[in-house]
Amino acid sequence: MSISPIEFPSFPMAPTMPVAPATTSGIDASATSVAPAGGVTGTSGAGGNEFGSMVLDGLDRLEGLNDRADNLAVQAATGKLDNIHDYTIAASEAQVATQLTVALRNKAVDAFNEIMRMQV
Amino acid sequence: MGAFDALGIANSALGAHQTWLDAIADNIANINTVTPTSQNAFQATYVEFSPRADGGVDVSGFAEGDPEGRLVSDPGNPLADADGYVRAPDTDMAAQMGQLVMAQRGFQASVQMTKSAQDTYTAALQIGVK
Repeated sequence: MSISPIEFPSFPMAPTMPVAPATTSGIDASATSVAPAGGVTGTSGAGGNEFGSMVLDGLDRLEGLNDRADNLAVQAATGKLDNIHDYTIAASEAQVATQLTVALRNKAVDAFNEIMRMQV
Repeated sequence: MGAFDALGIANSALGAHQTWLDAIADNIANINTVTPTSQNAFQATYVEFSPRADGGVDVSGFAEGDPEGRLVSDPGNPLADADGYVRAPDTDMAAQMGQLVMAQRGFQASVQMTKSAQDTYTAALQIGVK
């Protein structure tokens, strides 16, 4: 399986709107205003590239796990496998990693569809 | 390895117990192997384990049994010396059987660990699924 690099379009994000804390009477504005967490800043700027490289890294690792499981399967078939658990655990890892990647893909597609359903 | 540390650690434990089982199999297989008194007796193999720094267990080495063994009077044996003695290994069969149970149960426990780890990973994948 060879994976061609996928170019994720990096959409120019709209500048994040400075949300003015609603200074309603009776509510302490300083207590309710949410401090910008470190992870939130990733959505502005090159956020698309970060997600793309994350997906590509995951695919690379998944490919490595699958290759290892395949090699061990060949060893098992040819009688060169020393330890049975080497193969079964490699196969388990590859299976879980594949499920994780598919779940990630489904989430990304869901998010895309959600955006496409937006009223304009 | 990162996400699959539990599986990797269980894998090392499986390997260690497999080695232990192999050693016990060898010890029990040679429990009746006698040698002439001019030679060393069969030396049983004892596996030494050590913990890994990043989690898991390694086989750090092997200890060997007493080469003296024990002298057994068996004049009918063609290997016997002039006094009718042969050298038998001093392996304790009962101890080996006890270790066999421990090694087997340890292996099974590690297999259960891999099952639990995979169940956990699968459960984590269900987060947010509608």
